[in-house]
Amino acid sequence: MPRRPRPEAVLEKGLRELKTLVVCGSGGVGKTTTAAALALRAAAEGRRVLVCTIDPSRRLATSLGLAQLSGRPREIDMPRGAERGPGKLFAMVLDVKSTFDALVARYTPDEASRRRILDNRFYRHVSAALAGSHEYMAMEKLLELTGDEQWDLVVLDTPPTRHALDFLEAPDRLMGFLDTSVLRWFLRPYFVAGRLTLKVATRTGAVALRIADRFLGLEFLQDLSEFFLAFESMYDGFKERAARVHALLRETSSGFLLVAAPQAPALEEALFFHRRLSEKGMPFLGFVVNRVHPDPGPTVREGSTRRVRLPADLARRLEETFHEQRVLARAERRALARLEVDARERPVLVPELEQDVHDLRGLVAFGDAVFGGAPARAARQGAAR
Amino acid sequence: MLLDDLLARRLIVLSGKGGVGKSVVGAALALAARARGKRVLLVEVDAPLEASRLFGGPPSRGRATEARPGLFTVNLDAAAVMDEYVRHMVKVDLLARRILASPVYHRFFAAAPGLRELMVLGKIMVLEESRARLPRRPAWDLIVVDAPATGHGLAFLKVPLAASRAIPVGPVGHNARRILKLVRDPARTAVVVVAVPEEMAVVEAVQFHGLLADELGIAPAAVVLNGCHERRFSDEEEAEILRLIGSGREGELGGGVPLPAALRAARRQIRRSRLTRFYQRRLRRRLPGPLVSLPFLVRDGIGVGDLETLAERLEAA
Repeated sequence: MPRRPRPEAVLEKGLRELKTLVVCGSGGVGKTTTAAALALRAAAEGRRVLVCTIDPSRRLATSLGLAQLSGRPREIDMPRGAERGPGKLFAMVLDVKSTFDALVARYTPDEASRRRILDNRFYRHVSAALAGSHEYMAMEKLLELTGDEQWDLVVLDTPPTRHALDFLEAPDRLMGFLDTSVLRWFLRPYFVAGRLTLKVATRTGAVALRIADRFLGLEFLQDLSEFFLAFESMYDGFKERAARVHALLRETSSGFLLVAAPQAPALEEALFFHRRLSEKGMPFLGFVVNRVHPDPGPTVREGSTRRVRLPADLARRLEETFHEQRVLARAERRALARLEVDARERPVLVPELEQDVHDLRGLVAFGDAVFGGAPARAARQGAAR
Repeated sequence: MLLDDLLARRLIVLSGKGGVGKSVVGAALALAARARGKRVLLVEVDAPLEASRLFGGPPSRGRATEARPGLFTVNLDAAAVMDEYVRHMVKVDLLARRILASPVYHRFFAAAPGLRELMVLGKIMVLEESRARLPRRPAWDLIVVDAPATGHGLAFLKVPLAASRAIPVGPVGHNARRILKLVRDPARTAVVVVAVPEEMAVVEAVQFHGLLADELGIAPAAVVLNGCHERRFSDEEEAEILRLIGSGREGELGGGVPLPAALRAARRQIRRSRLTRFYQRRLRRRLPGPLVSLPFLVRDGIGVGDLETLAERLEAA
């Protein structure tokens, strides 16, 4: 059997060659940090990179050591040692509402229908809150960004969700919601008549409507109904756009990176995602597991080396600390073994770093920990080419 | 002290970003309340049955399951709660079944903004208000809610506010206002922010704290800093450990523990404990109200014994 390349080498190759990198994972596994660190690495290798996050708490800004990031790409000063190449790093935060607005503007046939949607109360208050709209808009933005020649590589940090897979499935949910059959089912016949009438197609529909009316009130239903009616003209455009995103994500120049923590629940999510990617024919780039604790190593046969005399109490606490970290490291190794058993993939392991990663220096340290300290050298080679 | 304050209310909502150990903190809180003789319900939302896993009991799907005497867990699945609501509203069974079987109903429910959260919060309100028949008292002395970590922690609690604005009339709007009143009432509800001693989690906790006050008028009852590496070595010992590392001293401690490996482990522990203290100080400086630190548990999987350790810490806080 031919030797498989190291996962780090696969990742590094991806950073050099891919045009789109989608970083996925369940909440709290260091997705944003990973996205930022890899984007920085690719920029240090000489590429023009944009990292885009969608995060109401502006986590990317924190990890880049900035107070704020806006909806427009902003150039990040490369840290010293990595700035000599032609590469550039830009970062932005996705603004869900304005992306949605832009999409509406793109697909409405005229100014009047555009206004009808943008001014609709339901749209204004809840469009950004529709389940799946964050994920959908992230993909929409991705389509726009990858169409821009300015970037060699776009790194997309996906929305924080409990389940990593939500990113792939949410757009379908949103499309299902916007599908006018919802409207046909119970809202439209009702409101086209303009008054309370229960002459709808089915008895079930009539009851559902009566319940909706009783519980949500006529006013809300009216807003909702208008929203759906206005949306009808855009639905096909949305659908076509969604199909293009699907195609983009399946291209060989795209890659999915699955980020996890070395604990069973996060790894199970990543494995599940991995299976779904292959079912959907989407390109998997690799697993990155963050914060792996180092194993202090085995004990020796008692008495095989010289016994060190320390105060008994200090010695006891040192032994305890050693054993604790050993238990932790071994539990993590066992959990990690599942990736190789179930997915036949070796993960890229990022050791627990000595300092918290929350600035550019930390991101460089992150990259060095994964690939070894090569970015500056690579940048020099890039400049020499 | 802290527990006295928290247990003066009957609803505790835990909030925090993913991966900070909300489930563990919730389970420990439930145990601590149980130790004081309270009848406790631990609520998870759309969770992969974390609580029952922690307690080692059978999975607690839709209905409350007694994980330990007097301590119940329930996993509220938003879709199931919604179905229950529809069945409750539509008295004709056949019609209810038709609605529930309709794909459009499911599609609507899957994406309708905030509907899941609203349903779950509504159910929690019903639980909070439910009374035992004999003797006449609340069915639950304490309900601990492990809020979903989806998106920003604020999203979950903001739903009733948004719903009460978007739906001006009708029972859903009315209920949204009742839920809002419940979560805003400091005599009935305690919002507890959970974080870990790491930059992003701490930044988010501080932001969350501010937004909760600004947008909802809620002052969190406490911040729980989970996973703290506690100080284990004195200044002199730390200096001695670093000196020994520098000297390259070989040899072993008791039980065949190699000295160099033990010293490196100690140095990591020292670094993490310094970071913990740094974030404790920052949170104390930035946020009013009590800060409770829970220790990082180095175990291969957290068991009931560990939860009891944490519960004792909460009791002592």
